Amino acid sequence: MTTRSLSRRHLLQAASALAAPVLLGARARAAGTIQMISHRYPALEYYADKMRNALPDTTVNTQLMPFDKALELETIAFSSKADTIDIAYANDSTFLTFAKNGWLRPLDDLWAKYQDEFKLADFSDSVLKTYHFNGHLYLMPFTLNAMLFFYRKDLFDQAGKQPPKTMLEYRDLAKSFNTPLRAGTISCLKPVDAALNESHWYLNTIGDGWFDKDWKPIFNDTRGAQAITLMQEITRDAQQGFTSAANDECMIALQQDVATMGLQWATRAKAMDDPKKSRVVDKMEFEAPRQGRARISSDGYGISAFSKQDPDTLFRIMATATNQASMRGAASFALSPRQSVMQDSELIKENRFYPAALTAVGTGLPLPGLAEFYSVGDFITRRVLQALTGEMTVKAALDAAAGETETFLKGHGYYK
Amino acid sequence: MVYPLGYAIYLSLFNYDLGNGAHDFIGFGNYGALLAEQRFWNSLDRTVAIVLAAVGLEFGLGLAIAYGLYRLTFGVRTLNLLLFLPNIVTPVVAALFLRWIFMGRWGLIAGTLIGWGIFPPDFLGDPDWARATVILADAWQFTPFMIMVLYAGLNTVDQSQIEAAQIDGAGVWTLLFRIMMPAIQPLIVFVLAIRLMDAFRFFDTIYVMTGGGPGSATETITLYTYALAFRLLQVGKACALGVLTLLFVALLTALMIRFVYRRERGAF
Repeated sequence: MTTRSLSRRHLLQAASALAAPVLLGARARAAGTIQMISHRYPALEYYADKMRNALPDTTVNTQLMPFDKALELETIAFSSKADTIDIAYANDSTFLTFAKNGWLRPLDDLWAKYQDEFKLADFSDSVLKTYHFNGHLYLMPFTLNAMLFFYRKDLFDQAGKQPPKTMLEYRDLAKSFNTPLRAGTISCLKPVDAALNESHWYLNTIGDGWFDKDWKPIFNDTRGAQAITLMQEITRDAQQGFTSAANDECMIALQQDVATMGLQWATRAKAMDDPKKSRVVDKMEFEAPRQGRARISSDGYGISAFSKQDPDTLFRIMATATNQASMRGAASFALSPRQSVMQDSELIKENRFYPAALTAVGTGLPLPGLAEFYSVGDFITRRVLQALTGEMTVKAALDAAAGETETFLKGHGYYK
Repeated sequence: MVYPLGYAIYLSLFNYDLGNGAHDFIGFGNYGALLAEQRFWNSLDRTVAIVLAAVGLEFGLGLAIAYGLYRLTFGVRTLNLLLFLPNIVTPVVAALFLRWIFMGRWGLIAGTLIGWGIFPPDFLGDPDWARATVILADAWQFTPFMIMVLYAGLNTVDQSQIEAAQIDGAGVWTLLFRIMMPAIQPLIVFVLAIRLMDAFRFFDTIYVMTGGGPGSATETITLYTYALAFRLLQVGKACALGVLTLLFVALLTALMIRFVYRRERGAF
């Protein structure tokens, strides 16, 4: 009896000793550093700095990394219901997955509470609409982005050429400009995000798009196959390593005079004129893709549903980082989702990519509003690359991707 | 080790999908689905090919260099130390700078060759070259391990046997293949088994260098497991694939050990 009582006491003592640091640690973490995780490009680096300095006596640890790494880390943390992320990056497509799975906290109450203090009515309704899922708002918008056609004005002038009006002209120009030292075009086909961006342009311009209204794949129809076949032809004149190139690698290829033209995000335009990093200062021009239908996107941040931090504090950090003054400071890096900044005529004059970006926002298309799009994107981009590298024919690759996509979506409750 | 392994086996019996919230017991359903899938077999074939090529290259190079060191009469310690350096670099760090070495157009190799007017192939963008590059990358990092173990083994061979063979007129290669290698056969099996087990888990280098691409050219079993878990969010299926990989490696290693044990009863 004595032994049992002692052992129970010992057990309780041991359990308490083990639990104490865990409980104390949780409380200490709740009051401690706020963890923010994000994709990385110049505009988001600017906003990360603003978040770090948003509130006095509040420490924000910002971790910035390439898009796919950020998405994977967020997925790992959220799916295990970990409180290791407080403020999370998402775009108009990835947030759907997060919201559908209950990984983000709806912001409606906080938005209403702080509407006047941070002049939140200034945010474009069309951008806010893309951040709604099942009637709730999940993200605070930070940037508005569009894919532009970047081209070397000096080389085009020397050759007496004009920017392409059609995809076929683009193909011919890429061929004519391609030399061993300078590729005719950039192509960024690293799975999943970068490859989806570029495929989106081809499939929506030449093909019929990704899905029909019932989410049945149509990217493998005849026109879709034509689109990817054209992509295959154009990538023959692309820079080396295009199959594993994301936006960073493509931006460097353009900056270092290794490629003549290509599709790239508006947020990369300013970097072309940075004399510390670019050999093509003032030589790069920007146009909205003439046939439109390139990708448009918006980046934002939301609050993790598993965060132990005070939601008001987290919201105030995001709202302070996106106030009017802050967004004016970021105007040279990206279009602002605040109307007062986006339509400021002075800023339009100061930033030479603005006219093209504003046009592209009007003519572009977002990715399909499918919460599983990045998951099925894994099948699709892998198959598209198998077609481009000659492992499969284009039609066979797209049919295989369509089959895999349908099976996956069926398993997720579609087509009932 | 028991808990995570047990938990992985437990999860592999469920349709556990983070994307749709499913968590249903399906028995061996995930295993059946994987074995019926072309992507699984393709990634297994690719893994076997990459692993055999990499480990074979490492063993060949490792044995040649270890034997060279064995016959060297000076500077062995310094050379051994220098040769071992790639093995102590963290694989992800090694992969990062190997990526910059092999990168097309402005990578170290491409940049240097282009400076000489030679335009190299797209090492990471061409499917065949990408496979060759990840094999070379693995060999660069793990050949030093082979060298170290084989060099230590060669030094344990009985000198009287070597001297006797030399008196009988055995040359350098006869000495290596007929006297020394049979003498260290258990060690060779050990080092090959260790490397094979390790190479089957080949992930970080490929993930950083090619991400499994282009297309699926370098998608190994571990890359596919990662895609299942973190891109497709099919955790149950990913666990099943992890268990299958474990079984495959365990079987392969058991066969190797059994093969040698039968021929050299008492060697282990």
